[in-house]
Amino acid sequence: MSKVMAAAEVQVNVLFFAKSRELVGSKEATLAVPAQTTSVQLLAAIVSRYPSLAVISNNLVLAVNQEYIAPGNDLLTLHPGDEVAVIPPISGG
Amino acid sequence: MDRTMSTVQGKDDIKLTSDQLNIEELTTLVTSPTSGAISVFIGTTRNNFDGKKVLWLEYEAYKTMAETELRKICGQIRERWVVENIAVFHRLGCVPITESSVIIAISSPHRRDGLDAVRYAIDTLKATVPIWKKELYEEGEASWKENKECSWST
Repeated sequence: MSKVMAAAEVQVNVLFFAKSRELVGSKEATLAVPAQTTSVQLLAAIVSRYPSLAVISNNLVLAVNQEYIAPGNDLLTLHPGDEVAVIPPISGG
Repeated sequence: MDRTMSTVQGKDDIKLTSDQLNIEELTTLVTSPTSGAISVFIGTTRNNFDGKKVLWLEYEAYKTMAETELRKICGQIRERWVVENIAVFHRLGCVPITESSVIIAISSPHRRDGLDAVRYAIDTLKATVPIWKKELYEEGEASWKENKECSWST
Protein backbone atom coordinates (compact mmCIF):
# COMPACT_ATOMS: atom_id res chain seq x y z
CA MET A 1 0.00 0.00 0.00
CA SER A 2 1.51 3.36 -0.94
CA LYS A 3 1.39 6.16 1.57
CA VAL A 4 0.95 9.74 0.37
CA MET A 5 3.23 12.16 2.25
CA ALA A 6 2.28 15.80 2.59
CA ALA A 7 4.80 18.04 0.91
CA ALA A 8 7.43 18.75 3.54
CA GLU A 9 7.27 22.27 4.89
CA VAL A 10 9.96 24.29 6.65
CA GLN A 11 9.82 27.40 8.82
CA VAL A 12 11.73 30.26 7.26
CA ASN A 13 12.50 33.74 8.57
CA VAL A 14 11.16 36.41 6.23
CA LEU A 15 12.66 39.89 6.30
CA PHE A 16 10.84 42.92 4.87
CA PHE A 17 12.61 46.05 3.72
CA ALA A 18 11.69 49.57 2.61
CA LYS A 19 8.26 49.78 0.98
CA SER A 20 7.51 46.11 1.72
CA ARG A 21 8.26 46.71 5.40
CA GLU A 22 5.83 49.65 5.46
CA LEU A 23 3.09 47.69 3.71
CA VAL A 24 3.41 44.66 5.99
CA GLY A 25 3.92 46.76 9.10
CA SER A 26 6.77 44.62 10.32
CA LYS A 27 10.48 44.03 9.66
CA GLU A 28 10.31 40.26 9.97
CA ALA A 29 8.09 37.23 10.34
CA THR A 30 8.27 33.47 10.26
CA LEU A 31 6.44 31.51 7.60
CA ALA A 32 5.93 27.83 6.84
CA VAL A 33 6.60 27.11 3.19
CA PRO A 34 7.28 24.01 1.08
CA ALA A 35 10.91 22.93 1.27
CA GLN A 36 10.91 22.26 -2.48
CA THR A 37 9.66 25.32 -4.26
CA THR A 38 10.48 27.94 -6.87
CA SER A 39 11.07 31.68 -6.65
CA VAL A 40 7.64 32.29 -8.21
CA GLN A 41 5.91 29.99 -5.72
CA LEU A 42 7.78 31.33 -2.72
CA LEU A 43 6.89 34.92 -3.58
CA ALA A 44 3.27 33.89 -4.13
CA ALA A 45 3.23 32.21 -0.69
CA ILE A 46 4.57 35.38 0.95
CA VAL A 47 2.07 37.61 -0.87
CA SER A 48 -0.73 35.20 0.01
CA ARG A 49 0.16 35.53 3.69
CA TYR A 50 0.71 39.29 3.40
CA PRO A 51 -1.78 40.52 0.77
CA SER A 52 -0.79 44.17 1.29
CA LEU A 53 2.31 43.30 -0.75
CA ALA A 54 0.21 42.60 -3.83
CA VAL A 55 0.43 46.23 -5.01
CA ILE A 56 4.22 45.91 -5.41
CA SER A 57 4.59 42.17 -6.01
CA ASN A 58 5.46 42.59 -9.69
CA ASN A 59 8.60 44.48 -8.68
CA LEU A 60 9.92 42.35 -5.85
CA VAL A 61 12.86 39.97 -5.89
CA LEU A 62 13.83 37.53 -3.17
CA ALA A 63 17.11 36.63 -1.55
CA VAL A 64 17.68 33.42 0.39
CA ASN A 65 20.52 33.44 2.92
CA GLN A 66 21.74 36.68 1.42
CA GLU A 67 21.98 35.50 -2.16
CA TYR A 68 19.60 36.80 -4.80
CA ILE A 69 17.25 34.21 -6.24
CA ALA A 70 16.62 34.66 -9.95
CA PRO A 71 12.92 35.22 -10.53
CA GLY A 72 11.40 32.22 -12.28
CA ASN A 73 10.64 28.55 -12.08
CA ASP A 74 14.03 27.05 -11.24
CA LEU A 75 13.78 24.59 -8.36
CA LEU A 76 14.75 25.97 -4.99
CA THR A 77 15.33 23.94 -1.81
CA LEU A 78 14.69 25.66 1.50
CA HIS A 79 15.93 24.53 4.93
CA PRO A 80 14.55 25.25 8.42
CA GLY A 81 15.68 28.67 9.58
CA ASP A 82 16.61 29.94 6.12
CA GLU A 83 16.53 33.72 5.81
CA VAL A 84 14.27 34.90 3.00
CA ALA A 85 14.40 38.62 2.23
CA VAL A 86 11.76 40.55 0.31
CA ILE A 87 13.63 43.07 -1.81
CA PRO A 88 11.83 46.00 -3.46
CA PRO A 89 13.65 47.98 -6.18
CA ILE A 90 16.91 49.18 -4.69
CA SER A 91 18.16 52.74 -4.48
CA GLY A 92 21.58 52.80 -2.85
CA GLY A 93 24.27 55.26 -3.76
CA MET B 1 43.74 30.19 -9.95
CA ASP B 2 44.68 33.67 -8.87
CA ARG B 3 42.15 35.89 -10.55
CA THR B 4 43.46 39.22 -9.41
CA MET B 5 45.23 41.41 -11.90
CA SER B 6 47.27 43.12 -9.28
CA THR B 7 50.49 41.81 -7.80
CA VAL B 8 50.06 44.19 -4.89
CA GLN B 9 48.10 42.85 -1.90
CA GLY B 10 45.39 45.37 -1.18
CA LYS B 11 42.59 45.67 1.33
CA ASP B 12 38.85 46.22 1.00
CA ASP B 13 37.30 48.47 3.66
CA ILE B 14 33.51 48.36 3.68
CA LYS B 15 31.43 50.31 6.18
CA LEU B 16 27.72 51.04 6.61
CA THR B 17 27.26 53.78 9.21
CA SER B 18 24.81 56.38 10.42
CA ASP B 19 27.73 58.73 11.17
CA GLN B 20 28.50 61.59 8.82
CA LEU B 21 30.96 60.42 6.16
CA ASN B 22 34.41 61.94 6.10
CA ILE B 23 36.40 61.83 2.84
CA GLU B 24 39.72 62.13 4.69
CA GLU B 25 39.00 58.94 6.57
CA LEU B 26 38.68 57.04 3.29
CA THR B 27 41.66 58.59 1.58
CA THR B 28 43.76 57.79 4.62
CA LEU B 29 42.61 54.17 4.46
CA VAL B 30 43.52 53.70 0.80
CA THR B 31 46.70 55.80 0.59
CA SER B 32 49.77 53.74 -0.17
CA PRO B 33 53.37 54.44 -1.17
CA THR B 34 52.97 52.08 -4.12
CA SER B 35 49.96 53.91 -5.55
CA GLY B 36 50.26 57.04 -7.66
CA ALA B 37 46.55 57.76 -7.75
CA ILE B 38 43.56 57.85 -5.45
CA SER B 39 40.25 57.96 -7.35
CA VAL B 40 37.13 59.04 -5.52
CA PHE B 41 33.36 59.16 -6.03
CA ILE B 42 31.15 61.01 -3.56
CA GLY B 43 27.36 60.71 -3.83
CA THR B 44 25.57 63.66 -2.24
CA THR B 45 21.92 64.48 -1.62
CA ARG B 46 20.16 66.80 -4.06
CA ASN B 47 17.48 69.23 -2.88
CA ASN B 48 15.04 68.63 -5.70
CA PHE B 49 13.30 65.91 -7.63
CA ASP B 50 10.63 66.32 -10.29
CA GLY B 51 9.88 69.90 -9.26
CA LYS B 52 9.49 69.00 -5.61
CA LYS B 53 11.72 70.24 -2.83
CA VAL B 54 13.51 67.43 -1.01
CA LEU B 55 14.07 68.03 2.70
CA TRP B 56 16.33 65.06 3.38
CA LEU B 57 16.89 61.43 2.47
CA GLU B 58 16.46 58.36 4.64
CA TYR B 59 18.57 55.30 3.86
CA GLU B 60 17.86 51.72 4.93
CA ALA B 61 19.98 48.62 4.27
CA TYR B 62 19.85 44.85 4.45
CA LYS B 63 23.15 45.17 6.22
CA THR B 64 24.59 41.67 6.06
CA MET B 65 23.74 41.21 2.39
CA ALA B 66 24.79 44.76 1.48
CA GLU B 67 28.26 44.10 2.90
CA THR B 68 28.46 40.79 1.05
CA GLU B 69 27.49 42.41 -2.25
CA LEU B 70 29.97 45.26 -1.72
CA ARG B 71 32.75 42.74 -1.13
CA LYS B 72 31.74 40.95 -4.33
CA ILE B 73 32.11 44.25 -6.18
CA CYS B 74 35.62 44.64 -4.72
CA GLY B 75 36.49 41.15 -5.98
CA GLN B 76 35.15 41.95 -9.43
CA ILE B 77 37.18 45.13 -9.50
CA ARG B 78 40.36 43.25 -8.60
CA GLU B 79 39.74 40.80 -11.44
CA ARG B 80 39.60 43.56 -14.03
CA TRP B 81 41.85 46.41 -12.94
CA VAL B 82 45.17 46.88 -11.19
CA VAL B 83 44.16 48.60 -7.96
CA GLU B 84 45.60 48.56 -4.49
CA ASN B 85 43.16 49.52 -1.72
CA ILE B 86 39.40 49.97 -1.96
CA ALA B 87 37.17 51.73 0.58
CA VAL B 88 33.38 52.01 0.26
CA PHE B 89 31.40 53.74 3.00
CA HIS B 90 27.62 54.14 2.74
CA ARG B 91 25.62 56.23 5.16
CA LEU B 92 22.38 54.95 6.66
CA GLY B 93 19.52 56.77 8.37
CA CYS B 94 18.85 60.46 7.73
CA VAL B 95 21.17 62.27 5.33
CA PRO B 96 20.59 66.03 5.10
CA ILE B 97 20.83 67.88 1.76
CA THR B 98 24.39 68.33 0.44
CA GLU B 99 25.82 65.73 2.80
CA SER B 100 27.43 62.60 1.41
CA SER B 101 25.50 59.37 1.23
CA VAL B 102 28.25 57.26 -0.29
CA ILE B 103 32.02 57.60 -0.75
CA ILE B 104 34.15 55.24 -2.83
CA ALA B 105 37.92 55.65 -2.77
CA ILE B 106 40.36 53.44 -4.70
CA SER B 107 44.14 53.67 -4.81
CA SER B 108 46.03 52.36 -7.80
CA PRO B 109 49.55 52.55 -9.24
CA HIS B 110 48.16 54.37 -12.29
CA ARG B 111 45.13 56.60 -12.57
CA ARG B 112 43.26 54.95 -15.47
CA ASP B 113 42.60 51.73 -13.51
CA GLY B 114 41.44 53.61 -10.41
CA LEU B 115 39.10 55.92 -12.31
CA ASP B 116 37.56 53.05 -14.26
CA ALA B 117 37.21 50.96 -11.10
CA VAL B 118 35.42 53.76 -9.22
CA ARG B 119 32.92 54.20 -12.06
CA TYR B 120 32.29 50.45 -12.09
CA ALA B 121 31.89 50.42 -8.30
CA ILE B 122 29.15 53.05 -8.15
CA ASP B 123 27.35 51.73 -11.23
CA THR B 124 27.32 48.19 -9.83
CA LEU B 125 26.41 49.33 -6.31
CA LYS B 126 23.33 51.03 -7.73
CA ALA B 127 22.36 47.85 -9.59
CA THR B 128 22.98 45.19 -6.93
CA VAL B 129 23.46 46.35 -3.32
CA PRO B 130 20.34 46.03 -1.12
CA ILE B 131 20.14 49.61 0.16
CA TRP B 132 17.05 51.81 -0.24
CA LYS B 133 16.49 55.54 0.01
CA LYS B 134 13.35 57.48 0.71
CA GLU B 135 12.99 61.14 -0.26
CA LEU B 136 11.09 63.34 2.18
CA TYR B 137 9.46 66.33 0.40
CA GLU B 138 8.61 69.77 1.68
CA GLU B 139 5.00 69.25 0.63
CA GLY B 140 4.81 66.44 3.18
CA GLU B 141 4.84 63.23 1.15
CA ALA B 142 7.67 60.75 0.90
CA SER B 143 8.79 58.45 -1.89
CA TRP B 144 10.93 55.30 -2.00
CA LYS B 145 13.33 55.78 -4.89
CA GLU B 146 14.17 53.13 -7.47
CA ASN B 147 17.51 53.12 -9.29
CA LYS B 148 17.20 52.87 -13.06
CA GLU B 149 20.16 50.48 -12.84
CA CYS B 150 18.02 48.04 -10.83
CA SER B 151 16.64 45.39 -13.13
CA TRP B 152 13.41 44.94 -11.15
CA SER B 153 12.48 48.62 -10.83
CA THR B 154 8.97 49.65 -11.83
